[in-house]
Amino acid sequence: MPVKLPWLRGVFPALVTPFTRKTEEIDEGAYRCLIRHVLPNVDGLVTSGTTGEFPYLTCEEKRRLVEIGVEEAHGRPVVAGCGASSTQEALALARDAKGAGASAALVVTPYFLHPSDKGIYQHFYDIATGVDLPIILYNIPQVMDRYLPRNVVEDLADLPNIVALKDSSGDLPYTMELLEYAGDRIDIFVGHDEVALPALAAGVSGFILASAQVYPEIWQEIIRLVGEGRLEEARARQRGVQKLSRIFCRYGGGVAVKAALKMMGLDVGPPRRPLKTVGGALLHETRAELRLELEELAACNTISVEEMSFEYPGGSLPERFGDLELTPQIIATQGLRLGSGMAGEGLNKVQIDLVAGSKGTALGDAYALQLTYPLHGREALTAILEPGLTVRPATLLLPTLPQRNLRQANMIYGPAQSALAQAIVDVLEKGWISPAAVEDEVMIALTTVHPRALDRHALYGSVRTAAAQALAQVFAEDGE
Amino acid sequence: MGYKTEWLKGIFPALVTPFTADVDAARSGLDEDAYRELIRFVLPHVDGLVPCGTTGEFSYMTLEERKQAIEVCLDEVAGRVPVVAGTGCTSTRETVALTEWARDAGVTGALVVAPYFLKPSFNEVYDHFRAVDRVGLPIVLYNIPQCAGTHFRWWTAEGMVLDFDNTVGIKDSSGDMPFLEALFEKVKGEVSIFNGHDEVVQAALAAGADGCILASANLIPDVWQRVYRATLEGDLETAQYWQQRVQKLARIVVRCGSTQAVKEGLRMMGLPIGNSRHPVVPGGAFRREDRDELRLQLELAGVDKIEKSPVAYILGKRRVETEVFATPQTPCKISDFTLRVGEGFAGPPFQELGHIDLLLGLKNGPVGRAIKRAMEGWGDERGLRIINERPRTLLVPTVTARTAKQRRLLYEHAVEGINLAIRLSVEDGFLPEAILDDIVLIINSFVHPAASIAKRVEFNNYKATRYAIRKALENRPTVEELIQEKAAARHPFRYAP
Repeated sequence: MPVKLPWLRGVFPALVTPFTRKTEEIDEGAYRCLIRHVLPNVDGLVTSGTTGEFPYLTCEEKRRLVEIGVEEAHGRPVVAGCGASSTQEALALARDAKGAGASAALVVTPYFLHPSDKGIYQHFYDIATGVDLPIILYNIPQVMDRYLPRNVVEDLADLPNIVALKDSSGDLPYTMELLEYAGDRIDIFVGHDEVALPALAAGVSGFILASAQVYPEIWQEIIRLVGEGRLEEARARQRGVQKLSRIFCRYGGGVAVKAALKMMGLDVGPPRRPLKTVGGALLHETRAELRLELEELAACNTISVEEMSFEYPGGSLPERFGDLELTPQIIATQGLRLGSGMAGEGLNKVQIDLVAGSKGTALGDAYALQLTYPLHGREALTAILEPGLTVRPATLLLPTLPQRNLRQANMIYGPAQSALAQAIVDVLEKGWISPAAVEDEVMIALTTVHPRALDRHALYGSVRTAAAQALAQVFAEDGE
Repeated sequence: MGYKTEWLKGIFPALVTPFTADVDAARSGLDEDAYRELIRFVLPHVDGLVPCGTTGEFSYMTLEERKQAIEVCLDEVAGRVPVVAGTGCTSTRETVALTEWARDAGVTGALVVAPYFLKPSFNEVYDHFRAVDRVGLPIVLYNIPQCAGTHFRWWTAEGMVLDFDNTVGIKDSSGDMPFLEALFEKVKGEVSIFNGHDEVVQAALAAGADGCILASANLIPDVWQRVYRATLEGDLETAQYWQQRVQKLARIVVRCGSTQAVKEGLRMMGLPIGNSRHPVVPGGAFRREDRDELRLQLELAGVDKIEKSPVAYILGKRRVETEVFATPQTPCKISDFTLRVGEGFAGPPFQELGHIDLLLGLKNGPVGRAIKRAMEGWGDERGLRIINERPRTLLVPTVTARTAKQRRLLYEHAVEGINLAIRLSVEDGFLPEAILDDIVLIINSFVHPAASIAKRVEFNNYKATRYAIRKALENRPTVEELIQEKAAARHPFRYAP
């Protein structure tokens, strides 16, 4: 019967592997900085795991990462990622890792060609009996395209060197099955950041997580709170990092972790190709979201928040359309109709100043001109319910504040845009806009959204309400 | 041994079922007139009909409605071709009862889908069909794992086909060619083996399929008949030509909401067919860009399902007559060219999607004045370009191109696509030669900063522009469409990741 290892518990970051730009060499200095940054809050390190881009590393590089890890860990355990497609290579890696001072080897399910259950058992058997090093099995079906079969784990758990299993599937029924059939003999670790708390509450021994190099202290706190039976507080902590964890798990993996570390001042360089720093699995839009979330996370006060001063447009309504070259006089003489609405509280407060009128007036010229991009940083957007559903009368949304970054743009493109469109179709449905006006008119909605707005759902509601108020002033006299 | 029947071969459309209203159950029912019109439309080109199949939305119909549809179909066909009615239900008991009813009503055979939703094991599936076989009606087994959730696998199919007396055929809609080949290996020549996947019709027939039951045979029965006949005559080249000619149409129908795709296609062809029943909605699985693409495919020479009609363009005092491929939504007169707005969207993939905001208007109107001012002012500095002279067209990058790669994708590949769309719109009559000096275009094109695949940037910009030009001229989406689709509309960027 194998004896569980006393050190195998707590929080282990699956470290990224820093590379230099252009040459894509391992950046040892950055690796050391990263380890020094996380060390105060972790119980051990994991080198060259999935987050560490292990399939892109040579055997020599993997060994070097272990050496650096051992030097920097000051006695804390270093778990070496020893995953490979062939048994021969995985075994060689595990032997290398032992030579370099690793405390255990993390060995992933053999991948690419799909060995049978018997082949998988043999793979781990050969490694566990071929090297005198504790072995941690590793299930990650998202990238390996197959599960480590539970009945294989059940048998492997009898081997003296097999001490644990890391389950990154996020599939709690599977985790429960492992605890049921092997939990008495080996430690189960959860490797899926989104379900860390439920897995812990169910009985896993600890976390091996990508995000444990971004917010290890939060995972430590969750372990402490669960230990004290304070589940309510632990849930709040998990929820606080839920979106970040989701991004790390599903929208970019190690690439997203590298982007987050860079925002926190730890430049770990690009991933190795074919992965892209941004624009591949990690979308630009998602990276902007990462930044938002890290700013929100009080624990990460390494990120500075840019303050912006701004005002909601004031003064008399006809004077607010100067940027469109619509003066109060033009508005009056050409019969343009105006409406204004305001809704929401705090960051979700929105103001809409709306002008409507015939295509043949100065408003038609303003409409066409806006679509030639005259206000840089304040690009106009067509009001659409969704791509393909342009509303009528044709309407432009024009932000009154410059969009300085993608996060601000993300609040306008999508939430504000579709909310404005919904409000317009609400009015169409009420029959307030005559068929002639639907064809003959256009509208421009000057839209002011707080530059630090974050909550898309709330913002959508505010824009819809504010737009409804403005539209009522413009069209109610036609209909009611 | 030989085939158990002689009549089960050729091209059979899986008829859509027209409904009178799409939401209110109390008022909704079979639209008998439209159903008869559809049957009359396909009948000259088909070897049999399938009422109440998957495309017929059998799973959204009451038993009474299914019986009514089958009766109408039998009546309209009056014995001219075989009628194979969909009688599959999820339980054995209900399936047997409906199949017995169909037998007594006089259908030629029954198409019986694998029992679905709860996923019975292979022996449960086998016993289900054994019970259905005992009804005494010729039975066609129906494998459609995409919907039913169960795949027969060859060992179950082989057993059922060989063990059951009345099982005369099998329809496989999986598109799983290895499975189809296994069927040929095991039971070819004993029962009819039908393909039900529109994308592999020619391949399946060439490999030995006896016929096809197809959703798209509502739209293009004649084209499928050409593929079938050519294959029988050993003329593979002709069969391949027609398959490839309608491949995109077939793909849209199979993968983008088959029932609604077929119904909207028929509607664009002028048949009075309403929408699918909820929860299928317009602009759902069959997206709006799919509808615009399906329309183009129905217009193709040789397919010829949408005809040209005259439209008058009134530009001030000038009247220009043109002819365009018209759907019932196309107006016969377009009189206000001051400023017309059209939007087009085309993907995939995400990073290379095309999104076009288009303004079309008179040279001496707001659109023309805006182009003039932009090019005299900030045009160069902000990357605006005149990309075409007839009609004069201003390209506006929705996102500034910052790198050499982004500039190449925008100014070469997106522009190539946009100009192709303009050229083809001139050819197809939507932008008639006689107005090219009077109107101008502003085209805002979105090229994602992370785009890589140049050909997709080009094609998606072509498609989005082509759709946008037509939408601007036809005033689409209509107010009715907007109101109908408002509640379910979901802007993809409205939500946090």
